[in-house]
Amino acid sequence: MTTTTPAPAIRPAAPSRPRPHAPESGPWVGRPVDRRDGPTKTTGTATFSAEYQLPDLAHGWLVHAPIARARITAIDDAAARAHPGVLTVLSHLNTPRLKPSPARPSLLDMSTMVGGTRVDYLGTDEVFFDGQPVAVVVAESLEAAQYAASLVQVDYAPLPATIDFAAAAAAGRATPVKQSLGMPTLVGSVGDADAALGRAAHVVDLHFTTPGHNHNALEPHATTAVWDGDRVTVWDATQGIDWFRKHLALRFDVPVESVRVIAPFVGGGFGGKGSVWAGTLLTVLAARVTGRPVRMALSREAVNRVVGGRTPTRQRVALGADADGRLTSVIHEAVLRNSPVGGGPEQVVGASGDLYASPHVRLVTSMVTLDLVPNTFMRAPGESTGSFGLESAVDQLAHDLGVDPLELRLRNEPETSALHHRAFSHRRIRELLHVGAEAFGWADRTPGGRRDGSQLVGHGLALAYHPAWEFPANVTLLLRRDGTALLRCGFQEMGMGTATVQAQVVADALGIPFDAVHVDYGDSDLPIAPNAGGSTQSASIAAAVLRSAAKLRRAVSQLHQRPGESLAQTLTRVGRDVEVSVGSDVGVGAAATSVRFIATTLLNQRRWVRAASGAHFCEVRVDADTGEVRVTRWVGAFDIGTVLNAKTAASQLRGGIVMGLGLALTEETVVDGRTGRIMNAGLAEYHVPTHADVPHIDIHLLDDPDPTMPLGVLGAGEVGITGVGAAIANAVFDATGRRVTDLPLTLDRVAP
Amino acid sequence: MTSQLDRPAPTEGSTGGLIVNGAPCTLLGIRANATALDWLRDRGLTGAKEGCAEGECGACAVLVARPDGDDRTRWTAINACLVPAASLDGQEIVTAEGLGSPTALHPTQYEMAVRGGSQCGYCTPGFVCSMAAEYYRADRVAAEIAPDEQERDHEHGPNGFDLHALSGNLCRCTGYRPIRDAAYALGHPDPADPLAERLTRPAPPPQRTHVAAPDGEFNRPATLPEALALLAEHPDAVLVAGSTDWGVEVNIRGTRAAHALAIDRLPELRTVEVDDTVIELGAALSLSEIERLLAGRVPLLAALFPQFASRLIRNGATLGGNLGTGSPIGDAPPALLALEASVVLASVAGDREVPLADYFTGYRQSVRHPGELIRAIRIPLPLAGITAFHKIAKRRFDDISSVAIAYAVDVTDGVVTRARIGLGGVAATPLRAIATEAALEGRPWDRATVQEAAAVLRREGTPLDDHRASAAYRSAMLGTSLLKLYAQPADPGRQEADA
Repeated sequence: MTTTTPAPAIRPAAPSRPRPHAPESGPWVGRPVDRRDGPTKTTGTATFSAEYQLPDLAHGWLVHAPIARARITAIDDAAARAHPGVLTVLSHLNTPRLKPSPARPSLLDMSTMVGGTRVDYLGTDEVFFDGQPVAVVVAESLEAAQYAASLVQVDYAPLPATIDFAAAAAAGRATPVKQSLGMPTLVGSVGDADAALGRAAHVVDLHFTTPGHNHNALEPHATTAVWDGDRVTVWDATQGIDWFRKHLALRFDVPVESVRVIAPFVGGGFGGKGSVWAGTLLTVLAARVTGRPVRMALSREAVNRVVGGRTPTRQRVALGADADGRLTSVIHEAVLRNSPVGGGPEQVVGASGDLYASPHVRLVTSMVTLDLVPNTFMRAPGESTGSFGLESAVDQLAHDLGVDPLELRLRNEPETSALHHRAFSHRRIRELLHVGAEAFGWADRTPGGRRDGSQLVGHGLALAYHPAWEFPANVTLLLRRDGTALLRCGFQEMGMGTATVQAQVVADALGIPFDAVHVDYGDSDLPIAPNAGGSTQSASIAAAVLRSAAKLRRAVSQLHQRPGESLAQTLTRVGRDVEVSVGSDVGVGAAATSVRFIATTLLNQRRWVRAASGAHFCEVRVDADTGEVRVTRWVGAFDIGTVLNAKTAASQLRGGIVMGLGLALTEETVVDGRTGRIMNAGLAEYHVPTHADVPHIDIHLLDDPDPTMPLGVLGAGEVGITGVGAAIANAVFDATGRRVTDLPLTLDRVAP
Repeated sequence: MTSQLDRPAPTEGSTGGLIVNGAPCTLLGIRANATALDWLRDRGLTGAKEGCAEGECGACAVLVARPDGDDRTRWTAINACLVPAASLDGQEIVTAEGLGSPTALHPTQYEMAVRGGSQCGYCTPGFVCSMAAEYYRADRVAAEIAPDEQERDHEHGPNGFDLHALSGNLCRCTGYRPIRDAAYALGHPDPADPLAERLTRPAPPPQRTHVAAPDGEFNRPATLPEALALLAEHPDAVLVAGSTDWGVEVNIRGTRAAHALAIDRLPELRTVEVDDTVIELGAALSLSEIERLLAGRVPLLAALFPQFASRLIRNGATLGGNLGTGSPIGDAPPALLALEASVVLASVAGDREVPLADYFTGYRQSVRHPGELIRAIRIPLPLAGITAFHKIAKRRFDDISSVAIAYAVDVTDGVVTRARIGLGGVAATPLRAIATEAALEGRPWDRATVQEAAAVLRREGTPLDDHRASAAYRSAMLGTSLLKLYAQPADPGRQEADA
């Protein structure tokens, strides 16, 4: 496990200068405190999953099926086995089978939800998608494993496959999904939206497409595993230590206590490391079969081929409005894709039930099933692509009505959610629009754009919206007589700064200095933390920290705490350390936690609409001749509830916006419609934004606590990317008069 | 695996060692196809990381001591994933671990840490190395930039930091701004800083290296005659210069060359010669080195360089390698075609010079025979008065062109006397737009001529439909490009030509 370093470690070797933020006393929550892992990460000494040095380490490499649907008819691995250094070649011909992945995920056991696919890897001769691992070469060196993998000959009998998303959707092969209790909104209806649309004074009815995306976190997935009898230790690039642990126990048919997952540092995930994909399973399997520690660091191409990405979407957004621009009807239909072996729908249409007032709403989600690697969640699943459709359509309506798009949004600000008539726990969209517009100078722009030399300059606006969730988290909290504290919780540092932020929460809750708080994390031997997903981690762990601190205060008060004495002073005087725990990892306590979680989630959903929100304002410059789009200025105003750390929060939001720039302008997973092969499974052809693509981004935070969330926190990880695609498309429309409804906004779509 | 280092007939200078983070290391037991990145990581130096294995992301960046003239050194950041470990023989390397430690951060590491430049941390050591190279750049000088200009200027900090130094490093977490803030907050190195002090002494001299391992052979001769003799002996040897292609072949395509012949340090291939009639560029100079040595002498190349891949790639990639690969989407060939460059091919039989226009024969094919290497590229003088390089791509930098167009046009007394247009990305080979050139030459340099010629240019080549752009878009861009050229503000060269 990893203990965070106290701050004094941050010291430059060369000319010293004052630290920008080195406050001596609390309150700590909200302050732009430096991340504690900065010194290890900048010096290359933070250890990632592929970097644990074990004696006798062997290396694995995957052999991928080059075909979408098939049965394996023969495998010739003789040449690979003969290659110097090769230990074994594992395939369905010689490998013990794993226990199956749960067919039906259950909220009662979240680990059932993290099987990336239901493919019985190396246990079946059936191929379900191009890229599916059909063999694993294990060798003494990475280089030998990699080369020998190219020597494995696999013969296939092809089976018919459905691959082309657009064709399948157009052929009407999409099946509507049903709404599940407790899950994000996929389907819903109030009033008669179609009839209302027919009667509306103004109608916008647009069709949108968005392509598939891949997470492409900088760290490719990597796993190192070593068995000791029936016990296994797994260092894995995971967003969910506990869920992975339980899932591995299930698949390898060992008790949960026999699996230890270690992941202090994860090189970005964005959802891609939220499920157990083939690399993790097959590394653990290879280690079991060979009896050696095995490391498998996937290539970038392998990551793209065996880990699902964001589903492409086809959307229809139809808005009806009266003469004053008040919405009378909102229709949002989405077609998404899954696979016969996994994947699922996501909340593309969800925000359309909450963002605007309308008496009539109809939301529909349907799926086509394609023989491709199953889709999975990627940063703001659904909301990131759905907001492109909704917020583009609202912009078009404003244009048709001749109303400022900001004004149109104010006119349609709801009192309660349009779909469910539920109260908002907290809603600050009016303030966000005003704050953002003021900072951007929205009122000073030239509507309809202007020309500056060969460039067309335009401005765009769109709302950001992401529901807030909360998961159970367990912690222990120790306060020592020397005034230091230790928080223990099994989360991982994936980039959000969780250890730093939770140390701030502990410092305030116990009234001790930030530097006196240590945090242990990154190990399943620690109390259970939730998956890092849904922007839930900060709020969920903070809730447990606050409860543990309250418990600790009660315990100390029973030690004859004197009036005016701090907790630490009492412990010093009585010469004791006090440790408390919140939540139970096992047995009845764990079951009770699950039941309470589900009950609370459902209850909260009936009572409140809870969401982080934002308003994006941007300026683009479009080359009048070539259609090249450059984003030149950005203001984002956000309501993420309480800001725990101004520096890490702003960076989360900025990072989300930049991933949104990719979604808007460059990112697209291109699948060969004939073979199912991803054509751009690498960073040379899948274009994430570079430094030069990123303008000045000005982040404004309201820092206004949500009254219903722990510490008032709404989550900052995903709201930033929502609305970005629409903000840019709206600015391009403003600049050029061209309404581009297909992402990405490549030059040939924007060019005259 | 039980690979061995075989050193037959010990050749002078073949010491089999290098210096990593100040400590001598041996290359014993190295495989011929091992990358520098894998070699460093196998030694426990895991600061350099693999993010793509093809030179796109920069997570593997390390610093190498490269020559800065004859008597000084320049810390140069390169992608360790693209370089054969064997090519490090005799070199000096610094990784993120060698710059500083958690309790004694290097200034770049300190600024990255306190400004939030590191989030997940995976790209961070690579960024730190690219940043450190720019930090130590001897000619980096602070500049006065007004605060409102700072908002607009994407490319330079008030401390003289050139943001292009980070163009080859990708980050998926921070949104880049905290990294820029860190870069622009850097001061200047203390002269007592050992890495700053190292700049004042010569870089390690070139030396011979020979590795014979079970997976192949790596040879680095010390002189051109030796190289040509080895090439005559192994005409199918893979020539390695900047090795930006070698790395992709090994890492992504699983290629294992029986013989790799490194020509990157050959002194005969590392000079720039200028006389009254020609500029001769050594084929093994990196693009960064050419950029510095030419210092704007060839405006068309000066326009090309910042748009060519990224700084990390330009620090390794060579013109010889770009032409040797012969990719239809390389950015150098269109520019060199417009400059009417020729290629000097050397073999044991001697030199021959081939006009670049005759050099490419098909997709990744050329007139270069086995046993020949590209020794130099020659650009005839005088240069044309009006030049431009138009690269159209999705991203501003670090992208492959959808279309690349290079122009070199002479106008005398208002009439086009010579027009040379090089095209990339519109056919299986880079090509000259011969018909368009004909439509311009002898005609007045005015809008009517340009519009007619643009219509011709639109039809040049046979553009592909692919995921970078549609064929129709590429054709449209060819046409508008010429109009853009005509509309571009007059540069000094143009005034000269107009005079």
